[in-house]
Amino acid sequence: MSLINAHIRTSKIWKTAGKLVVATAAAVAIFTTSACSFGLGGDNTQSSSASDTVNIAAIYPETGQYAEYGKLFKRGWELALDEVNADGGVQGKKLGIKYYDTQSDAKQDAAVAPKIVSDNSVIAVVGDYSSSASAAASPTFNQAKLVHYGFNNSATNFTDTGEYVWTPQITQATYQKLNADTVAKTAKKISVVYIENDWGKEAYNEFKEEAQKQGIDIAYESSYLADSTDLSPILIKARDAQPDAIVNIGYGPDGALVLNTLRNKLAWDGSFFGGQETSEFLNNAGKNAEGTIITGSFSATGVKTDEQKKFVEAFNKKYGYDPGNFEVTAYQAIKDLAYGANKTSATREGIQKALQTVTDFPLYQGNGGTFKFNQKTRRADNIEPILLIVKDGKFVRYDE
Amino acid sequence: MVDTLFSGLIHGSVYAIAAVGMSLIFGVTNVANFAQGSIVAVGMMIAWWLGTALGWGIVPTLAVVIIVTAALGFVMNFFVISPLEGRKPIAALLATIGVGQVLDNSLQLIFGTQTRQFPELLPTHNLQLGGLRFGTSDIVSIIVTVFLMFALWSFLKFGKTGQAIRATSQDPEAARQMGIPVRSIRNISFVIGAVLAGIAGVFVGLSNGNINPTNGGSIGMTAFVAATIGGLGSIPGAVVGGLVLGVVEALGVSWLGDGAHDFITFGALLLILIIRPQGLLFNSSSAVRSEPMTGTFLENSRSIELPRWVNWLLAGLAILLPFVANNALAGAGTQVAIYSIAAVGLTLISGSAGQTILGMAGPFATGAYTSAILVTQFGWSFWAGLLMGGLVAAITASILTFPVWKLSGHYVAIATIGVGAVTVAIIRLWEPVTHGSLGIQGIPVPQIFGAALDTQQKLLLLDVIILLIALWAVSRIHKSHLGHVFAAVGADQDAAEALGIRSNAYKALAYAIAAFFAGLAGALLAHQYTYIDPTIFNSAMSTLILTIIVLGGMNSPLGAVIGSALLIGLPEVLRFASTWRGIVYGILLIIIILFRPQGLWSRSVAQAKIGKNDDKATENIQEDAQTVAEEVEA
Repeated sequence: MSLINAHIRTSKIWKTAGKLVVATAAAVAIFTTSACSFGLGGDNTQSSSASDTVNIAAIYPETGQYAEYGKLFKRGWELALDEVNADGGVQGKKLGIKYYDTQSDAKQDAAVAPKIVSDNSVIAVVGDYSSSASAAASPTFNQAKLVHYGFNNSATNFTDTGEYVWTPQITQATYQKLNADTVAKTAKKISVVYIENDWGKEAYNEFKEEAQKQGIDIAYESSYLADSTDLSPILIKARDAQPDAIVNIGYGPDGALVLNTLRNKLAWDGSFFGGQETSEFLNNAGKNAEGTIITGSFSATGVKTDEQKKFVEAFNKKYGYDPGNFEVTAYQAIKDLAYGANKTSATREGIQKALQTVTDFPLYQGNGGTFKFNQKTRRADNIEPILLIVKDGKFVRYDE
Repeated sequence: MVDTLFSGLIHGSVYAIAAVGMSLIFGVTNVANFAQGSIVAVGMMIAWWLGTALGWGIVPTLAVVIIVTAALGFVMNFFVISPLEGRKPIAALLATIGVGQVLDNSLQLIFGTQTRQFPELLPTHNLQLGGLRFGTSDIVSIIVTVFLMFALWSFLKFGKTGQAIRATSQDPEAARQMGIPVRSIRNISFVIGAVLAGIAGVFVGLSNGNINPTNGGSIGMTAFVAATIGGLGSIPGAVVGGLVLGVVEALGVSWLGDGAHDFITFGALLLILIIRPQGLLFNSSSAVRSEPMTGTFLENSRSIELPRWVNWLLAGLAILLPFVANNALAGAGTQVAIYSIAAVGLTLISGSAGQTILGMAGPFATGAYTSAILVTQFGWSFWAGLLMGGLVAAITASILTFPVWKLSGHYVAIATIGVGAVTVAIIRLWEPVTHGSLGIQGIPVPQIFGAALDTQQKLLLLDVIILLIALWAVSRIHKSHLGHVFAAVGADQDAAEALGIRSNAYKALAYAIAAFFAGLAGALLAHQYTYIDPTIFNSAMSTLILTIIVLGGMNSPLGAVIGSALLIGLPEVLRFASTWRGIVYGILLIIIILFRPQGLWSRSVAQAKIGKNDDKATENIQEDAQTVAEEVEA
């Protein structure tokens, strides 16, 4: 018995030694990898005053399922950046953009936000594509007093996170009021299908409220999931309700799917309000898009001011096509932040102060001119939505 | 109504054609191929390119698609699947997830990111029935499906190779002894499965119209559901399953609206599995009989055990980390810690009790929502919300999963996908309480004794402490009598039953414990993000949580931390790779699993090869003797 015990004891010692080696190796490996990739120690990275470049951090989907929008954003940003630096940068310093691919995935936004905060050369953050991804990063930026400029995040409560969270997006209340008023002019009875996410839900609630005020009868309504491939079951019901018009609140690809299903599969030729001001929508809907009316914030062919025209021309020269809604809002985000920094200082405090005090940010959307922020809601106050119609495969302004 | 029914049938025929390949691969190779949907997307995108850029017709397009996908199937089996033969099938499953990653990201890199129209290789809307137009494409699709079904059936029944395939699937060892070249038979099966996926891709493209290179994941998931409804391994079952799913979805969506689409799809899956546990067309001769995901005699692995003082040392270092970490490391650290907490419980149910769970996003979301609602709407404290998050997650997961345990093998794993998806679908639909798609905003950050945890370092400290408690608790359970019972259930369910152990009750208990920790993790995440909505808790999250413990080592609580650090940390470390990030990530995943199929933090104990591993076997016996000795001493 004691022999066995002795044997067990010896083998135990050896085993312990072996395990110790494994454990030490593992611990060392974990700590060195983390130290290498993230850096241990404090956050006193390069100080911004010493460097002659200040940066805006862009959190956006470069890869993943939303990559198409990331690509459009990047085109707008790059053009704006070129122009800002050609005009002498911000307060004599060169402006740069630091790109962070998040795939618009909340978990990656949360992981990358602290990294951005500790980079002292970053004076503001733009992005992300979706509200849920943006919102996962907002608290971190707000706590660090770094402006989070969610230029694509139109959700009503997006800026509620704190005083450093801003968006120039027009609220859905404004958009959908115009949308419903326009529909009411030609239709008394409608069917509505809308995308099932935070944006679509809110947009539809606003639309419904205004439509009811206008006395429109909503004969059928249904949401749809963004990844549904066959919308016939709801569109058959939408069609069979015999509406004067069918309204769709959604994005480009799903808007094209709704329209194509209605026209090609269900042989329905009534009037259609919906889709999205993107080439993706036009390319996918093709001829079916003709005559479609949507409420947007920008039309490349319907621009009014010289600044707007210069932007469209420069964009077309650089990329070979007319910019759409996503490109212009991204472009404008960089231009506005640079404009603000030039009025105050090229620092984090400067950006925040600019958003609070500057009242003439250049506006490229809508009718052009300038806009300012509502200090209570931290949203753009005076951007007017505009109506667009598809003619000859292009969006043009619809002015009756 | 007639229109709806008919449109359901047409859409169902597309599900059917995708499900046939899925069912075949599952049936004959016993590998749950998570890359199958991505191969469908490969076929679809190649056909798109040939049809639009080169203007080719349907026949040459199909020919090229068949050649390319055949090559892909061969390469995939040769380099990734066949080296894992004889290992736990879960390793192969993980490898296919890696392959899917590589394929999806490559397609996006090659073909661009935008959604586009599939070329009209065949007329798609030239015929009409009632108020519904359809096309030659739909008719050809149905003919091709039926043809493939009969061709495959007769090939498997009468063809020499076909018979060899069936023999191999039933018992590879016996087949080898009968002189069947098992290796080439496996290659052939994979090639056939991939070609079927490629052909399906062409018809899926024709039917959907709107296509995107990233469609593979959702196509694969619906094909999987359709194949399961029909009865896995049954080719006619796959066709029936596809049609049934198409019609059920059409009628359900027509009735409840498309917002309830997921609820209907996965609800139908659960319902059918509960009523007919082996699928609609199960018959004992054609369907899968062995249980690939629970394979027990192939190989076993044990967690690498560290001496107690090393554990204390590591715990000490972990506690120290928040005090020395900068923002970036602490930020990534919080995510690693939260996902470790979510995964650690799976070592009990999936590791010990041997039941793969694919729907952990369900309890994770339940925990997040419970805590968020209690704290924001009812003014509960953070701690109370956190604890309730765990409890409610455990309770609802147990109730929803209750009917599932009577199923067996991988049907349970698939049912858990359904439970996870249905949970999130209910959260989305239950608007008065959860705010549905609008999400919950303004969830307060954790408060401890009145102090808000408002920096990454403070949050990390909280997460690390809860992680350590979770690790300690789960390790204790592993070593307790209860843990041994779980292990007994996992090692040999029949033997366990013979000893009077009610194995299903113990599996349910192990799952409830796992759900409790996932709920805690969800609550922590909600209070860190301060905003949650249903899109956060998607199927990718479920897959990630399972992948974490497979990579770390199924039995090893510490492995969950290592797996989480790798899977969450890698994408951050790989930022230099830019657009190649997803591809590099997938390749690394495959390489890791090829070198350590048993997981990073466990060592394999190959029972079948005990002769070769005498040292290890002796070591195990010693270890057991030691435990007994210690128990006697105490």
